[in-house]
Amino acid sequence: MREAIVAAHDHGSVGARPSAVVVSEVSKVFGSGPSAVTALDNVSFDVPKGSFVSILGPSGCGKSTMLRLIAGLQPVSSGRIEVERHTPDEMRRAREFGIVFQQPILFDWRTVEQNVALPLQLIGTDRDERARRVSEMIELVGLADFRKHRPWQLSGGMQQRVAIARALAFGPRFLMMDEPFGALDMMTRERMQTELLAIWASKPDTTIIFITHSISEAVLLSDRIVVMSARPGRVMKTIDVDIPRPRTDQVRRDERFVEIEAEIRELIFSQEHA
Amino acid sequence: MVERNRAREHAITAAIVLGVLAIWYAVAALVAAGDDPLANAKLPYPHVIVDRFLTDFGEVMEAAWESLSTALMGFAIGTVVGIVLSVVMVQAAWIESALMPYLLAAQMIPMIALVPISQTVFKNDTATRLFIAAFITFFSVAVAVVRGLKSAPPPARELMKSYNAGRLRTLRYLDLPAAMPMLFSGLRVAAPLSLVGSVLVDLMGGSTGLGYLMLAAQTFGPAQAPLVWVAMFVLLVLGFLLAQAVILAEKVLAPWQPAMRQGGR
Repeated sequence: MREAIVAAHDHGSVGARPSAVVVSEVSKVFGSGPSAVTALDNVSFDVPKGSFVSILGPSGCGKSTMLRLIAGLQPVSSGRIEVERHTPDEMRRAREFGIVFQQPILFDWRTVEQNVALPLQLIGTDRDERARRVSEMIELVGLADFRKHRPWQLSGGMQQRVAIARALAFGPRFLMMDEPFGALDMMTRERMQTELLAIWASKPDTTIIFITHSISEAVLLSDRIVVMSARPGRVMKTIDVDIPRPRTDQVRRDERFVEIEAEIRELIFSQEHA
Repeated sequence: MVERNRAREHAITAAIVLGVLAIWYAVAALVAAGDDPLANAKLPYPHVIVDRFLTDFGEVMEAAWESLSTALMGFAIGTVVGIVLSVVMVQAAWIESALMPYLLAAQMIPMIALVPISQTVFKNDTATRLFIAAFITFFSVAVAVVRGLKSAPPPARELMKSYNAGRLRTLRYLDLPAAMPMLFSGLRVAAPLSLVGSVLVDLMGGSTGLGYLMLAAQTFGPAQAPLVWVAMFVLLVLGFLLAQAVILAEKVLAPWQPAMRQGGR
């Protein structure tokens, strides 16, 4: 067990911050009887306010399910999830979760601009405010020249940027990302990672919960990494990443980065050989 | 490259039309050469049909309009009923499984059997035509739209849920737009069929319309025979135009679908 070292990064020490999400002894079982499948088994962890927390694990470890439970899209089977002292469902109804999936899920019948405006339209934001926020978000993700384009006219990376703009457009306190860069090629993926950090820097109060199966991605982006094992999904270890921010591409060569990456890799492999 | 392909397509189409006409003349000549006194009535030469079309232009157009207008109205009614019914069906699995068998059963009813029944019920040609055209349309539309309303991927639904959008808003902003391509594929099938339905009513006791024109021409002896063919060709052209109109409407209303888009990656 490694102690979290207090380092000078813009969000302060993770451990010292109050919790935004508390997951305690959560299990999730799908189906019933002999065909029941335990997706999550007694999972507990904390997400500090305004931090970037990754849930890292192989496919089948229930990490996407975990995200859906926190976002109030599915109920837990047992245990408790508290989000800012509310239930996930209450927070969902208060529209505090912006979600980005692996596929961008943009509506083909809407332009880039209209896609970003969708949540604002549903919330009932007035026209002027909507237009202001949409153009702010589109500029933030660097798509100002593509606002009138249709989703299919954009590259995969650009589509995912639209999805991020849409998720942040209505100012949710949480950004939930389910393997958002999993469908992108390696080069686009790395560019999107640093870009996400830049976007987050302009919305520093947003707490990000990020699902991934890439160790380096988790280490580069996160304040805290929840490492999970598969079938049933369990938490193996929670690791705080003390690499200072702002982090850039250079961090990938950082001694600390390599160290933490190796630690997690060892952890996962030791489990597999057991 | 595209230009050359198009030119080739046109050439092939023209060749087929000419070929069919040539065969027609040949067969008509063969029939005429036989010893059947009614030969000319059975298969008239194409130019005789064109001639007849020009002579009786007013009468033919009036009948065509009667058939087309009722078909269009029935088509519209059937479309609305079909969409409403499919929206109801996708609200719950039990509603769908309760209604779908009847929908499929309705599709099995031969129109020939349904026409006399509805004539007895409505006692009015126009009402019967509307009903038959609407009936044919509604199940093509309903079956297609039910599938279309379920076509949005699960994460899209989760996205709407994360915005706390209820059923009505999810329907309006996600499911109905997503169902547009399926709606149009249903309409493409239904449009010409609604016209056939309207004409079928004329054929089975109506007193106006293209079907009546065909029937009357047959009844009034061999001299009127070309008129049957005129009515058939007009029907064919109208059906083709209706199908084209649906395709045009789709290009205007749902240009974003994969099959229609331009400049995509």
